Amino acid sequence: MNVMASQPSKTDSVVGAQGLGKTFGGGAVVALEDASFDIRPGSFVSLVGPSGCGKSTLLRLIAGLIERTSGNLQVHGKEVTDPRTDVGMMFQKATLLDWRTAVENVLLPTEVSRAVTKEDQKNAAELLRMVGLKDFLFAFPSQLSGGMQQRVALARLLQTGADVLLLDEPFGALDEFTRERLNVELMRIVKEVQATTLFVTHNIAEAIFLADQVFVMTPRPGRIAKIVDVPFDRPRPLSIQTSPEFNTLVAEVRDILGEDH
Amino acid sequence: MSDVSSPKAPGTADHLMFRILPHLVLFAVLLLIWEMAVRTGIITSIIIPAPSKIIGAIWELYVTKGTIYRHFFITFTEAVVGFAIGAGVAVTLAVCSALWDPFKRYVSPYAIVLNVTPGIALTPIIIAWFGYGMGSKIALAAVISFFPIFVNTLTGLIQRDEDREELFRSIGATDAQIFRKLRVPAALPLLFAGLKIGLTTALIGAVVAEFAQATDGVGVLMSRFSFQLNMAASLATLLSMTVIGLILFYSMEFLDDRIVFWRRESRGAAASRAKARAWKSRMGQ
Repeated sequence: MNVMASQPSKTDSVVGAQGLGKTFGGGAVVALEDASFDIRPGSFVSLVGPSGCGKSTLLRLIAGLIERTSGNLQVHGKEVTDPRTDVGMMFQKATLLDWRTAVENVLLPTEVSRAVTKEDQKNAAELLRMVGLKDFLFAFPSQLSGGMQQRVALARLLQTGADVLLLDEPFGALDEFTRERLNVELMRIVKEVQATTLFVTHNIAEAIFLADQVFVMTPRPGRIAKIVDVPFDRPRPLSIQTSPEFNTLVAEVRDILGEDH
Repeated sequence: MSDVSSPKAPGTADHLMFRILPHLVLFAVLLLIWEMAVRTGIITSIIIPAPSKIIGAIWELYVTKGTIYRHFFITFTEAVVGFAIGAGVAVTLAVCSALWDPFKRYVSPYAIVLNVTPGIALTPIIIAWFGYGMGSKIALAAVISFFPIFVNTLTGLIQRDEDREELFRSIGATDAQIFRKLRVPAALPLLFAGLKIGLTTALIGAVVAEFAQATDGVGVLMSRFSFQLNMAASLATLLSMTVIGLILFYSMEFLDDRIVFWRRESRGAAASRAKARAWKSRMGQ
Protein backbone atom coordinates (compact mmCIF):
# COMPACT_ATOMS: atom_id res chain seq x y z
CA MET A 1 0.00 0.00 0.00
CA ASN A 2 1.28 3.40 -0.90
CA VAL A 3 0.76 6.24 1.50
CA MET A 4 1.56 9.78 0.50
CA ALA A 5 1.89 12.61 2.92
CA SER A 6 1.06 16.11 1.82
CA GLN A 7 4.25 16.90 -0.07
CA PRO A 8 5.81 20.20 0.90
CA SER A 9 8.58 21.56 -1.31
CA LYS A 10 11.92 19.79 -0.95
CA THR A 11 13.74 22.71 0.60
CA ASP A 12 11.13 22.85 3.32
CA SER A 13 11.93 19.32 4.56
CA VAL A 14 14.24 18.57 7.49
CA VAL A 15 13.80 14.81 7.42
CA GLY A 16 12.76 13.24 4.15
CA ALA A 17 12.21 9.60 3.23
CA GLN A 18 11.22 7.89 -0.02
CA GLY A 19 10.28 4.23 -0.04
CA LEU A 20 12.38 3.69 3.09
CA GLY A 21 12.58 0.06 4.25
CA LYS A 22 14.43 -2.10 6.75
CA THR A 23 14.51 -5.87 7.04
CA PHE A 24 16.31 -8.02 9.58
CA GLY A 25 17.63 -11.56 9.30
CA GLY A 26 18.39 -11.29 5.57
CA GLY A 27 14.84 -10.26 4.68
CA ALA A 28 13.06 -12.72 6.98
CA VAL A 29 11.62 -9.97 9.19
CA VAL A 30 10.25 -6.81 7.60
CA ALA A 31 10.61 -4.17 10.30
CA LEU A 32 9.68 -1.22 8.12
CA GLU A 33 8.28 -1.11 4.62
CA ASP A 34 7.95 1.67 2.05
CA ALA A 35 7.91 4.71 4.32
CA SER A 36 7.70 8.06 2.55
CA PHE A 37 7.34 11.42 4.25
CA ASP A 38 8.70 14.93 4.61
CA ILE A 39 8.96 16.60 7.99
CA ARG A 40 8.80 20.40 8.17
CA PRO A 41 11.36 22.40 10.17
CA GLY A 42 10.32 22.95 13.76
CA SER A 43 7.41 20.58 13.60
CA PHE A 44 6.58 17.89 16.14
CA VAL A 45 5.80 14.43 14.79
CA SER A 46 4.48 11.57 16.88
CA LEU A 47 4.93 7.98 15.79
CA VAL A 48 2.19 5.85 17.30
CA GLY A 49 1.38 2.19 16.93
CA PRO A 50 1.60 -1.21 18.64
CA SER A 51 4.82 -3.18 19.17
CA GLY A 52 6.42 -4.34 15.95
CA CYS A 53 5.02 -1.50 13.82
CA GLY A 54 8.52 -0.23 13.06
CA LYS A 55 8.40 3.04 15.01
CA SER A 56 11.64 2.41 16.89
CA THR A 57 13.23 1.07 13.71
CA LEU A 58 12.33 4.29 11.88
CA LEU A 59 13.86 6.36 14.68
CA ARG A 60 17.08 4.33 14.69
CA LEU A 61 17.33 4.66 10.92
CA ILE A 62 17.11 8.45 11.19
CA ALA A 63 19.65 8.40 14.03
CA GLY A 64 22.02 6.51 11.75
CA LEU A 65 22.30 3.68 14.30
CA ILE A 66 21.14 1.04 11.80
CA GLU A 67 21.44 0.86 8.03
CA ARG A 68 18.43 0.93 5.71
CA THR A 69 17.89 -1.95 3.30
CA SER A 70 15.89 0.02 0.72
CA GLY A 71 14.78 3.52 -0.26
CA ASN A 72 16.28 6.89 0.60
CA LEU A 73 16.54 8.96 3.75
CA GLN A 74 17.88 12.49 4.16
CA VAL A 75 18.35 14.82 7.08
CA HIS A 76 18.90 18.44 6.06
CA GLY A 77 19.13 17.23 2.48
CA LYS A 78 22.08 14.89 3.17
CA GLU A 79 21.78 11.11 3.00
CA VAL A 80 21.96 9.44 6.42
CA THR A 81 24.86 7.01 6.70
CA ASP A 82 26.18 7.31 10.27
CA PRO A 83 25.22 8.93 13.57
CA ARG A 84 25.69 12.68 13.14
CA THR A 85 25.80 15.78 15.25
CA ASP A 86 22.65 17.43 13.87
CA VAL A 87 20.54 14.48 15.06
CA GLY A 88 20.17 13.59 18.75
CA MET A 89 18.39 10.70 20.38
CA MET A 90 16.79 10.02 23.75
CA PHE A 91 15.76 6.59 24.98
CA GLN A 92 13.14 5.06 27.25
CA LYS A 93 15.84 4.44 29.83
CA ALA A 94 17.70 7.52 31.02
CA THR A 95 21.03 5.74 30.32
CA LEU A 96 22.93 8.13 32.59
CA LEU A 97 26.42 7.25 33.76
CA ASP A 98 26.23 6.51 37.50
CA TRP A 99 29.70 7.89 38.20
CA ARG A 100 28.97 11.30 36.73
CA THR A 101 27.03 14.18 38.24
CA ALA A 102 24.01 15.50 36.39
CA VAL A 103 26.02 18.28 34.77
CA GLU A 104 28.86 15.91 33.83
CA ASN A 105 26.29 13.62 32.21
CA VAL A 106 24.91 16.53 30.23
CA LEU A 107 28.43 17.38 29.03
CA LEU A 108 29.10 13.87 27.70
CA PRO A 109 28.08 14.57 24.07
CA THR A 110 30.38 17.61 23.97
CA GLU A 111 33.20 15.63 25.54
CA VAL A 112 33.17 12.92 22.88
CA SER A 113 33.40 15.46 20.06
CA ARG A 114 35.89 18.02 21.40
CA ALA A 115 37.52 19.58 24.48
CA VAL A 116 34.96 20.99 26.91
CA THR A 117 35.13 24.78 27.39
CA LYS A 118 33.78 27.02 30.12
CA GLU A 119 31.07 28.08 27.69
CA ASP A 120 29.99 24.45 27.30
CA GLN A 121 29.82 24.12 31.06
CA LYS A 122 27.69 27.24 31.38
CA ASN A 123 25.45 25.96 28.61
CA ALA A 124 25.03 22.59 30.36
CA ALA A 125 24.14 24.29 33.63
CA GLU A 126 21.65 26.50 31.75
CA LEU A 127 20.03 23.46 30.13
CA LEU A 128 19.62 21.78 33.50
CA ARG A 129 17.95 24.97 34.67
CA MET A 130 15.67 24.80 31.65
CA VAL A 131 14.54 21.27 32.50
CA GLY A 132 13.91 22.30 36.10
CA LEU A 133 17.00 20.85 37.77
CA LYS A 134 18.94 23.97 38.72
CA ASP A 135 19.41 22.69 42.28
CA PHE A 136 20.68 19.30 41.16
CA LEU A 137 23.71 20.09 38.99
CA PHE A 138 26.02 18.00 41.15
CA ALA A 139 23.64 15.20 42.08
CA PHE A 140 24.53 11.69 40.99
CA PRO A 141 21.89 9.63 39.14
CA SER A 142 21.32 7.40 42.18
CA GLN A 143 20.21 10.50 44.10
CA LEU A 144 17.59 11.42 41.47
CA SER A 145 14.07 10.06 40.87
CA GLY A 146 13.17 8.39 37.58
CA GLY A 147 11.52 11.58 36.28
CA MET A 148 14.52 13.70 37.24
CA GLN A 149 16.86 11.24 35.51
CA GLN A 150 14.87 11.63 32.30
CA ARG A 151 15.11 15.41 32.67
CA VAL A 152 18.90 15.06 32.79
CA ALA A 153 18.75 12.85 29.70
CA LEU A 154 16.67 15.54 27.97
CA ALA A 155 19.21 18.22 28.90
CA ARG A 156 21.97 15.95 27.57
CA LEU A 157 20.03 15.58 24.31
CA LEU A 158 19.76 19.38 24.00
CA GLN A 159 23.47 19.76 24.80
CA THR A 160 24.29 17.90 21.57
CA GLY A 161 23.09 21.02 19.75
CA ALA A 162 21.13 18.80 17.37
CA ASP A 163 18.09 20.41 15.79
CA VAL A 164 16.48 17.07 15.00
CA LEU A 165 15.45 15.35 18.22
CA LEU A 166 14.46 11.69 18.26
CA LEU A 167 12.65 10.54 21.39
CA ASP A 168 11.93 6.84 21.81
CA GLU A 169 9.17 6.58 24.44
CA PRO A 170 11.23 8.86 26.67
CA PHE A 171 8.76 8.97 29.55
CA GLY A 172 7.28 5.50 29.00
CA ALA A 173 8.70 4.08 32.21
CA LEU A 174 7.36 6.88 34.41
CA ASP A 175 4.06 7.18 36.24
CA GLU A 176 1.09 8.88 34.55
CA PHE A 177 1.33 12.19 36.45
CA THR A 178 5.07 12.63 35.94
CA ARG A 179 4.72 11.73 32.30
CA GLU A 180 1.98 14.29 31.69
CA ARG A 181 3.97 17.03 33.37
CA LEU A 182 7.11 16.19 31.42
CA ASN A 183 5.14 16.12 28.16
CA VAL A 184 3.94 19.67 28.76
CA GLU A 185 7.49 20.78 29.55
CA LEU A 186 8.86 18.95 26.54
CA MET A 187 6.46 20.84 24.29
CA ARG A 188 7.61 24.14 25.76
CA ILE A 189 11.31 23.24 25.53
CA VAL A 190 11.37 22.01 21.92
CA LYS A 191 9.51 25.21 20.97
CA GLU A 192 12.13 27.24 22.82
CA VAL A 193 15.08 25.58 21.09
CA GLN A 194 13.18 25.46 17.78
CA ALA A 195 13.93 21.79 17.21
CA THR A 196 12.24 19.38 14.87
CA THR A 197 11.03 16.50 17.00
CA LEU A 198 10.08 12.87 16.35
CA PHE A 199 8.42 11.28 19.34
CA VAL A 200 7.65 7.55 19.62
CA THR A 201 4.79 6.43 21.85
CA HIS A 202 2.14 3.75 22.05
CA ASN A 203 -0.32 6.10 23.73
CA ILE A 204 -2.74 7.62 21.20
CA ALA A 205 -3.84 10.61 23.30
CA GLU A 206 -0.22 11.46 24.13
CA ALA A 207 0.72 11.23 20.44
CA ILE A 208 -2.01 13.66 19.40
CA PHE A 209 -1.59 16.02 22.34
CA LEU A 210 2.08 16.66 21.53
CA ALA A 211 2.21 16.67 17.76
CA ASP A 212 1.55 18.67 14.59
CA GLN A 213 1.46 15.40 12.70
CA VAL A 214 0.82 11.85 13.85
CA PHE A 215 2.32 8.97 11.88
CA VAL A 216 -0.06 6.12 12.57
CA MET A 217 1.88 2.88 12.17
CA THR A 218 0.71 -0.73 11.89
CA PRO A 219 2.68 -3.98 12.25
CA ARG A 220 3.45 -7.05 10.11
CA PRO A 221 4.96 -5.57 8.06
CA GLY A 222 5.76 -2.33 9.88
CA ARG A 223 4.56 0.65 7.89
CA ILE A 224 3.04 4.11 8.09
CA ALA A 225 -0.69 3.52 7.60
CA LYS A 226 -1.68 7.18 7.68
CA ILE A 227 -0.34 10.61 8.53
CA VAL A 228 -2.88 12.56 10.57
CA ASP A 229 -2.59 16.37 10.86
CA VAL A 230 -3.35 17.89 14.25
CA PRO A 231 -4.82 21.40 13.80
CA PHE A 232 -4.23 22.88 17.29
CA ASP A 233 -1.53 25.45 18.01
CA ARG A 234 1.44 24.42 20.13
CA PRO A 235 2.11 24.64 23.03
CA ARG A 236 -1.29 23.49 24.21
CA PRO A 237 -2.96 23.23 27.60
CA LEU A 238 -3.64 19.77 29.02
CA SER A 239 -7.35 20.67 29.03
CA ILE A 240 -7.46 20.39 25.25
CA GLN A 241 -7.64 16.64 25.72
CA THR A 242 -11.27 16.89 26.79
CA SER A 243 -12.37 18.90 23.73
CA PRO A 244 -14.61 17.18 21.13
CA GLU A 245 -12.18 17.93 18.27
CA PHE A 246 -9.39 16.22 20.17
CA ASN A 247 -11.50 13.17 20.81
CA THR A 248 -12.58 12.97 17.16
CA LEU A 249 -8.88 12.71 16.29
CA VAL A 250 -8.35 10.02 18.93
CA ALA A 251 -11.25 8.06 17.45
CA GLU A 252 -9.82 8.48 13.94
CA VAL A 253 -6.40 7.15 14.95
CA ARG A 254 -7.91 4.32 16.96
CA ASP A 255 -9.98 3.40 13.92
CA ILE A 256 -6.88 3.16 11.71
CA LEU A 257 -5.09 1.00 14.24
CA GLY A 258 -8.17 -1.23 14.41
CA GLU A 259 -8.30 -4.27 16.61
CA ASP A 260 -4.52 -4.25 16.95
CA HIS A 261 -4.59 -1.55 19.53
CA MET B 1 20.70 21.08 46.58
CA SER B 2 19.96 22.48 49.99
CA ASP B 3 23.20 21.99 51.75
CA VAL B 4 21.86 21.43 55.24
CA SER B 5 24.34 19.56 57.36
CA SER B 6 22.10 17.33 59.38
CA PRO B 7 22.71 17.76 63.08
CA LYS B 8 23.71 14.56 64.84
CA ALA B 9 20.62 12.74 65.95
CA PRO B 10 20.41 12.94 69.71
CA GLY B 11 21.66 9.79 71.39
CA THR B 12 23.80 8.60 68.47
CA ALA B 13 26.75 7.93 70.75
CA ASP B 14 24.54 6.00 73.13
CA HIS B 15 23.26 3.91 70.25
CA LEU B 16 26.81 3.05 69.23
CA MET B 17 27.63 1.99 72.79
CA PHE B 18 24.45 -0.07 72.82
CA ARG B 19 25.49 -1.90 69.68
CA ILE B 20 29.06 -2.55 70.76
CA LEU B 21 28.46 -3.33 74.41
CA PRO B 22 26.89 -6.80 73.91
CA HIS B 23 29.86 -7.82 71.75
CA LEU B 24 32.32 -6.68 74.39
CA VAL B 25 30.42 -8.46 77.13
CA LEU B 26 30.22 -11.69 75.13
CA PHE B 27 33.93 -11.52 74.28
CA ALA B 28 34.86 -10.90 77.93
CA VAL B 29 32.69 -13.81 79.09
CA LEU B 30 34.28 -16.17 76.54
CA LEU B 31 37.77 -15.10 77.62
CA LEU B 32 36.82 -15.60 81.25
CA ILE B 33 35.49 -19.13 80.63
CA TRP B 34 38.63 -19.94 78.63
CA GLU B 35 40.86 -18.58 81.39
CA MET B 36 39.00 -20.56 84.07
CA ALA B 37 39.10 -23.75 81.97
CA VAL B 38 42.87 -23.54 81.72
CA ARG B 39 43.40 -22.58 85.37
CA THR B 40 41.24 -25.42 86.65
CA GLY B 41 43.10 -27.84 84.36
CA ILE B 42 40.18 -28.78 82.12
CA ILE B 43 42.36 -27.68 79.19
CA THR B 44 46.10 -28.38 79.27
CA SER B 45 47.98 -25.12 79.03
CA ILE B 46 50.63 -26.76 76.83
CA ILE B 47 48.00 -27.20 74.11
CA ILE B 48 45.93 -24.09 74.61
CA PRO B 49 47.44 -21.42 76.84
CA ALA B 50 45.27 -19.14 78.93
CA PRO B 51 44.30 -15.77 77.47
CA SER B 52 46.37 -14.06 80.15
CA LYS B 53 49.45 -15.94 78.87
CA ILE B 54 48.72 -14.85 75.29
CA ILE B 55 48.34 -11.24 76.41
CA GLY B 56 51.67 -11.60 78.21
CA ALA B 57 53.27 -12.94 75.03
CA ILE B 58 51.84 -10.01 73.02
CA TRP B 59 53.25 -7.62 75.61
CA GLU B 60 56.67 -9.23 75.29
CA LEU B 61 56.61 -9.29 71.46
CA TYR B 62 55.46 -5.72 71.07
CA VAL B 63 56.72 -3.90 74.16
CA THR B 64 59.45 -5.46 76.29
CA LYS B 65 61.39 -7.20 73.50
CA GLY B 66 59.86 -5.64 70.37
CA THR B 67 60.90 -8.65 68.25
CA ILE B 68 57.73 -8.59 66.17
CA TYR B 69 58.25 -5.30 64.31
CA ARG B 70 60.95 -6.39 61.90
CA HIS B 71 59.08 -9.57 61.00
CA PHE B 72 55.80 -7.73 60.78
CA PHE B 73 57.30 -5.21 58.37
CA ILE B 74 58.92 -7.91 56.22
CA THR B 75 55.75 -9.97 55.80
CA PHE B 76 53.71 -6.84 55.20
CA THR B 77 56.12 -5.73 52.48
CA GLU B 78 56.18 -9.16 50.84
CA ALA B 79 52.39 -9.27 50.68
CA VAL B 80 52.01 -5.73 49.35
CA VAL B 81 54.79 -5.96 46.75
CA GLY B 82 53.62 -9.42 45.63
CA PHE B 83 50.08 -8.11 45.38
CA ALA B 84 51.18 -5.08 43.37
CA ILE B 85 53.02 -7.28 40.86
CA GLY B 86 50.18 -9.81 40.62
CA ALA B 87 47.59 -7.05 40.26
CA GLY B 88 49.65 -5.19 37.66
CA VAL B 89 50.04 -8.26 35.47
CA ALA B 90 46.43 -9.34 36.01
CA VAL B 91 44.92 -5.95 35.10
CA THR B 92 47.20 -5.55 32.07
CA LEU B 93 46.31 -8.99 30.71
CA ALA B 94 42.61 -8.43 31.45
CA VAL B 95 42.59 -5.12 29.58
CA CYS B 96 44.40 -6.69 26.61
CA SER B 97 41.96 -9.61 26.63
CA ALA B 98 38.98 -7.27 26.74
CA LEU B 99 40.30 -5.14 23.88
CA TRP B 100 41.41 -7.93 21.63
CA ASP B 101 39.45 -11.14 21.34
CA PRO B 102 42.22 -13.41 19.93
CA PHE B 103 44.39 -12.40 22.89
CA LYS B 104 41.68 -13.56 25.27
CA ARG B 105 41.34 -16.86 23.40
CA TYR B 106 45.06 -17.60 23.72
CA VAL B 107 45.56 -16.32 27.29
CA SER B 108 42.49 -17.84 28.94
CA PRO B 109 43.65 -21.47 28.88
CA TYR B 110 46.86 -20.56 30.72
CA ALA B 111 44.95 -18.50 33.26
CA ILE B 112 42.60 -21.40 33.89
CA VAL B 113 45.44 -23.94 34.20
CA LEU B 114 47.16 -21.60 36.64
CA ASN B 115 43.96 -21.33 38.63
CA VAL B 116 43.17 -25.04 38.92
CA THR B 117 46.76 -25.82 39.93
CA PRO B 118 46.91 -25.24 43.68
CA GLY B 119 49.06 -22.12 43.82
CA ILE B 120 50.50 -23.03 47.19
CA ALA B 121 51.88 -26.26 45.69
CA LEU B 122 54.26 -24.08 43.71
CA THR B 123 56.03 -23.10 46.95
CA PRO B 124 59.03 -25.49 46.73
CA ILE B 125 59.60 -24.65 43.07
CA ILE B 126 59.39 -20.93 43.68
CA ILE B 127 61.80 -21.18 46.60
CA ALA B 128 64.20 -23.13 44.40
CA TRP B 129 63.97 -20.35 41.82
CA PHE B 130 64.01 -17.29 44.00
CA GLY B 131 65.89 -18.39 47.10
CA TYR B 132 65.25 -18.07 50.82
CA GLY B 133 64.88 -14.31 50.92
CA MET B 134 61.92 -12.04 50.31
CA GLY B 135 62.00 -12.73 46.56
CA SER B 136 60.34 -16.12 46.77
CA LYS B 137 57.64 -14.81 49.15
CA ILE B 138 56.86 -11.93 46.83
CA ALA B 139 56.74 -14.31 43.87
CA LEU B 140 54.29 -16.69 45.54
CA ALA B 141 52.12 -13.80 46.72
CA ALA B 142 52.06 -12.46 43.14
CA VAL B 143 51.22 -15.83 41.60
CA ILE B 144 48.29 -16.64 43.84
CA SER B 145 46.83 -13.13 43.86
CA PHE B 146 46.88 -12.99 40.06
CA PHE B 147 43.88 -15.09 39.21
CA PRO B 148 41.03 -13.53 41.22
CA ILE B 149 42.08 -10.09 40.00
CA PHE B 150 42.38 -11.20 36.39
CA VAL B 151 38.99 -12.93 36.32
CA ASN B 152 37.11 -10.13 38.07
CA THR B 153 38.63 -7.39 35.93
CA LEU B 154 37.98 -9.28 32.70
CA THR B 155 34.39 -10.07 33.71
CA GLY B 156 33.85 -6.40 34.49
CA LEU B 157 35.33 -5.22 31.22
CA ILE B 158 33.48 -7.60 28.91
CA GLN B 159 30.03 -7.10 30.41
CA ARG B 160 28.01 -5.21 27.81
CA ASP B 161 25.53 -2.45 28.55
CA GLU B 162 23.60 -2.34 25.25
CA ASP B 163 21.49 0.70 26.18
CA ARG B 164 24.40 2.90 27.17
CA GLU B 165 26.51 1.74 24.24
CA GLU B 166 23.69 2.76 21.90
CA LEU B 167 23.64 6.17 23.57
CA PHE B 168 27.40 6.52 23.03
CA ARG B 169 27.05 5.52 19.38
CA SER B 170 24.19 7.98 18.87
CA ILE B 171 26.44 10.85 19.98
CA GLY B 172 29.16 9.65 17.62
CA ALA B 173 31.57 8.19 20.17
CA THR B 174 34.47 6.06 18.95
CA ASP B 175 35.16 2.55 20.28
CA ALA B 176 38.10 3.93 22.24
CA GLN B 177 35.85 6.53 23.88
CA ILE B 178 33.25 3.90 24.72
CA PHE B 179 35.98 1.81 26.33
CA ARG B 180 37.44 4.67 28.34
CA LYS B 181 34.27 6.47 29.35
CA LEU B 182 31.86 3.55 29.72
CA ARG B 183 33.42 0.12 29.96
CA VAL B 184 36.32 0.98 32.27
CA PRO B 185 34.29 2.87 34.90
CA ALA B 186 31.56 0.22 34.70
CA ALA B 187 34.21 -2.46 35.43
CA LEU B 188 35.61 -0.70 38.51
CA PRO B 189 33.26 -2.29 41.09
CA LEU B 190 34.27 -5.78 39.94
CA LEU B 191 37.93 -4.78 39.68
CA PHE B 192 37.88 -3.72 43.31
CA ALA B 193 36.12 -6.92 44.36
CA GLY B 194 39.00 -8.77 42.69
CA LEU B 195 41.64 -6.56 44.33
CA LYS B 196 40.19 -7.21 47.78
CA ILE B 197 40.32 -10.97 47.29
CA GLY B 198 43.77 -10.73 45.70
CA LEU B 199 45.22 -8.73 48.58
CA THR B 200 44.05 -11.29 51.12
CA THR B 201 45.42 -14.19 49.07
CA ALA B 202 48.74 -12.35 48.65
CA LEU B 203 49.14 -12.42 52.43
CA ILE B 204 48.44 -16.16 52.44
CA GLY B 205 51.12 -16.62 49.77
CA ALA B 206 53.72 -14.64 51.71
CA VAL B 207 53.08 -16.50 54.99
CA VAL B 208 53.00 -19.97 53.41
CA ALA B 209 56.31 -19.31 51.66
CA GLU B 210 57.75 -18.19 54.99
CA PHE B 211 56.58 -21.40 56.64
CA ALA B 212 58.33 -23.40 53.95
CA GLN B 213 61.73 -21.74 54.05
CA ALA B 214 62.77 -18.36 55.31
CA THR B 215 64.85 -16.46 57.82
CA ASP B 216 62.53 -13.56 58.55
CA GLY B 217 58.83 -12.79 58.68
CA VAL B 218 55.90 -13.55 60.96
CA GLY B 219 55.54 -16.99 59.38
CA VAL B 220 59.06 -17.93 60.46
CA LEU B 221 58.54 -16.46 63.88
CA MET B 222 55.39 -18.48 64.34
CA SER B 223 56.97 -21.80 63.23
CA ARG B 224 59.83 -21.16 65.58
CA PHE B 225 57.53 -20.60 68.58
CA SER B 226 55.48 -23.67 67.67
CA PHE B 227 58.59 -25.87 67.52
CA GLN B 228 59.50 -24.62 70.97
CA LEU B 229 55.92 -25.46 72.05
CA ASN B 230 55.57 -21.83 73.06
CA MET B 231 51.88 -21.75 72.17
CA ALA B 232 51.20 -18.39 73.77
CA ALA B 233 53.81 -16.62 71.63
CA SER B 234 52.71 -18.62 68.60
CA LEU B 235 49.12 -17.45 68.98
CA ALA B 236 50.27 -13.91 69.66
CA THR B 237 52.12 -14.02 66.32
CA LEU B 238 49.01 -15.38 64.61
CA LEU B 239 47.16 -12.32 65.88
CA SER B 240 49.81 -10.14 64.19
CA MET B 241 48.94 -11.79 60.90
CA THR B 242 45.31 -10.94 61.54
CA VAL B 243 46.37 -7.34 62.10
CA ILE B 244 48.29 -7.30 58.79
CA GLY B 245 45.25 -8.77 57.06
CA LEU B 246 42.97 -6.15 58.59
CA ILE B 247 45.25 -3.27 57.62
CA LEU B 248 45.45 -4.51 54.03
CA PHE B 249 41.75 -5.21 53.72
CA TYR B 250 40.60 -1.91 55.13
CA SER B 251 43.08 0.12 53.06
CA MET B 252 41.53 -1.43 49.98
CA GLU B 253 38.04 -0.90 51.38
CA PHE B 254 38.92 2.76 51.90
CA LEU B 255 40.05 3.16 48.27
CA ASP B 256 37.02 1.23 47.03
CA ASP B 257 34.74 3.56 48.99
CA ARG B 258 36.24 6.63 47.38
CA ILE B 259 36.89 5.45 43.85
CA VAL B 260 33.69 3.44 43.35
CA PHE B 261 31.74 6.01 45.39
CA TRP B 262 28.57 5.69 43.30
CA ARG B 263 27.96 2.22 44.68
CA ARG B 264 27.91 3.54 48.25
CA GLU B 265 24.87 5.54 49.17
CA SER B 266 26.74 7.03 52.10
CA ARG B 267 29.46 8.46 49.81
CA GLY B 268 27.14 10.13 47.31
CA ALA B 269 26.53 13.34 49.25
CA ALA B 270 30.22 13.90 50.00
CA ALA B 271 31.15 13.24 46.36
CA SER B 272 28.46 15.74 45.23
CA ARG B 273 29.84 18.43 47.51
CA ALA B 274 33.39 17.84 46.26
CA LYS B 275 32.19 18.09 42.64
CA ALA B 276 30.31 21.30 43.41
CA ARG B 277 33.40 22.88 45.00
CA ALA B 278 35.62 21.88 42.06
CA TRP B 279 33.07 23.29 39.61
CA LYS B 280 32.78 26.60 41.43
CA SER B 281 36.52 27.14 41.65
CA ARG B 282 36.87 26.32 37.94
CA MET B 283 34.06 28.64 36.91
CA GLY B 284 35.44 31.37 39.14
CA GLN B 285 32.20 31.99 40.99
